[in-house]
Amino acid sequence: MNKTAAAFAVCTFLTGAAMAHHGWGSYDAANPVTVAGAIVTSKFENPHATVTVQQADKTWTIILAPTSRMNSRGASAKVVAIGNNISAYGYPSTVVKEEMRAERITVDGKIYEMR
Amino acid sequence: MVDAAPAIFVALEQSGFSAAVRQSAWIYPAANIGHILALAVFAGAVAIMDMGLMADARTSDFAARFVRARAFAIAAFLALIITGFMLFAAEASHLAINPVFQVKLLLIAAALANAVLYEVFARRTVAKLPLGAAVPVRVKIAGVLSLSIWICVAACGRSIAYF
Repeated sequence: MNKTAAAFAVCTFLTGAAMAHHGWGSYDAANPVTVAGAIVTSKFENPHATVTVQQADKTWTIILAPTSRMNSRGASAKVVAIGNNISAYGYPSTVVKEEMRAERITVDGKIYEMR
Repeated sequence: MVDAAPAIFVALEQSGFSAAVRQSAWIYPAANIGHILALAVFAGAVAIMDMGLMADARTSDFAARFVRARAFAIAAFLALIITGFMLFAAEASHLAINPVFQVKLLLIAAALANAVLYEVFARRTVAKLPLGAAVPVRVKIAGVLSLSIWICVAACGRSIAYF
């Protein structure tokens, strides 16, 4: 049993060391952003639907939800189709520039929760 | 991000197979669930083998139990490879350059090397040990290494999404 405990200890140490540097979660919840504009590209795909939106001189990539959840919340592929105007509230990535993870989106005055 | 990955992974992600995995409503979630279920079977089988290796003395059912658990481990590992490849293919260009994913692959290689070394150099010798004989220290080390590395593999797998 001592050896099993040792095995777990080794693992916990290695995993802990690996995580200490980057921290948990790479989206900055302390600084939420709202991105609004017409949808330029739309991928209604797993593991997450994504759209890109042109806002001023920036092209934001907006990470939405898995397609099954999108559908069950009413945010179907038609709702997030190219050309539709979208407003997305969410957290910017701390790793990829101009990428954000949407908490909720508004299309045509209707709010869809993503989480 | 896509530009940073080697061309072969970009090509894999853009293949019809990968597109089908992403665009189907159920393939990706099914692969995800299958991966976790296979992991549960694999972890159980590996734990049975490794706990046997860590025992202080050779028990009567050691060799037979090891071989039976190994059959489950091999079947579950194949299922992990198949479901894992589907999950990988869907996002190959991102995953290939994900540091945690790279560490995970290295750890899998290390754990498999450990298992092959044991299989080739130790398993038959250990099976022939008389009942109650002390298990050699290097065999215990192989067991501790195996269980430790596989737990780290699982931890890496779950951590990929956060890096």
